[in-house]
Amino acid sequence: MDVSGVLEAHKQKFKSVSVEGKVIPVEYDLGLLAAYDQNPVDEAELKKNKEEYLHSLSRDNAQLLFNEIFQLQTISDDNGVMAILPAPTTLLPREKPLPKPKPETRWEKFAKAKGIVNRKKERMVYDDATGEYKPRWGYKGINDDGSKDWIIEVPAGANPMEDQYEARREAKKERIERNEKRRQRNMEEAAVATKMDQKAVNKGDRPNMDNARSLKRKEIESQILISKNSTASAGKFDEAIKGDLKPKGIKRQFAPTVTDLSKEKAGNMSILDRVVGKNGEDLVNVRKAIKATKRQ
Amino acid sequence: MRPLTELETKTFFEKLAKYIGRNITHLIDRGDETYCFRLHRDRVYYVSESVMRKATSVGRDQLISLGICFGKFTKTGKFRMHVTCLDYIAQYAKHKVWIKPNGEMPFLYGNHVVKAHIGRVTEDTPEHQGVIVYSMTDVPLGFGVTARSTSDTRKMEPTAIVVFHQADIGEYLRQEDTLF
Repeated sequence: MDVSGVLEAHKQKFKSVSVEGKVIPVEYDLGLLAAYDQNPVDEAELKKNKEEYLHSLSRDNAQLLFNEIFQLQTISDDNGVMAILPAPTTLLPREKPLPKPKPETRWEKFAKAKGIVNRKKERMVYDDATGEYKPRWGYKGINDDGSKDWIIEVPAGANPMEDQYEARREAKKERIERNEKRRQRNMEEAAVATKMDQKAVNKGDRPNMDNARSLKRKEIESQILISKNSTASAGKFDEAIKGDLKPKGIKRQFAPTVTDLSKEKAGNMSILDRVVGKNGEDLVNVRKAIKATKRQ
Repeated sequence: MRPLTELETKTFFEKLAKYIGRNITHLIDRGDETYCFRLHRDRVYYVSESVMRKATSVGRDQLISLGICFGKFTKTGKFRMHVTCLDYIAQYAKHKVWIKPNGEMPFLYGNHVVKAHIGRVTEDTPEHQGVIVYSMTDVPLGFGVTARSTSDTRKMEPTAIVVFHQADIGEYLRQEDTLF
């Protein structure tokens, strides 16, 4: 039996999977399931038969996209046959602006200037005394402050009665304090650097300490002024403190002494209208009129 | 010396309107020359434009006075009229009180006007109305505020106060140094 005729008839019912007539090959980004057709639109056809033309164009491109997908490597499981999509190739713009670089600390600046690079060191180090590996720092670390020594030699020239353990503890406390101060200073400078306008940053200006202090001072002063004004009497009945801040820069503005007097006159007239009333006093004195009529 | 702010102008006009009402217009808008109000050391001066322009060349500390002093702003922002403005407000006064010759001196010494001294009153003057005080020969002596309306005064005793003293021309002697 020859079924080729039947098959042919069946085939005729569907459009071909191959699409012709694309001058510029269509680009694909299969990771995003997208196809980009750069071919120019046939304007004559578009004007003549808009809906049909757009329909056929999108059908052709969709067909091309599916042809590409069907060429991909597939896997089949319980859910059916699935194609493995490649990674998307289209570059999408970033949603948010790039984060600003963190302000450098003083040490980072110094290290950069001197070319000091932080080398990675192992966490555990060999301890000669015990023959074990111990953490470089932290719990059971080797960098203890020396207060665990059971005996300390009195340094030359030191007071023999002085407690050397106490001295070491003091020294450590001092080191911690100094470090904390530096940390604070770094934070202040970082705050100033972020507040500095972008122009100065672009120019490469570095925030200096005086700048940081003055900024902080200004902030505190403005806060004091606000708090002074925040009493029930808006600061009017507060006891004056010697050397206390006074609000500066609040200046009243007056019109210039010599101006266009006709304008001033017009302003005065409008004020007068408001004070006395547009029509002035009533033309008829009501009380007087009533009295007069009663007499009659 | 500077022009009055809007608020100052309002307070000033409110006080002035108690005496001359809408006639303030005639002060602002004069036929002969442009006049204006200027504030100098809390005092309001009524001054012609030419004098005002000349006065700009005098330093603030050196400038004692200019034009006609209409009164001064108190530290609480109220306006107090001085007797120096009497000539102007007497010209446009709406309500007047004439006092008998025997009442002139007591008034000029700064006392209130009692009923016995009243010679004549503008008919139908309401209560608390600014009035100009004249002598019987029509010489303005000062100004004050009525204590009662004209109709109410009829029932009052002769010693009752009818007009509260505000300013009188005796102040030219009594307050010579602070008046202008």
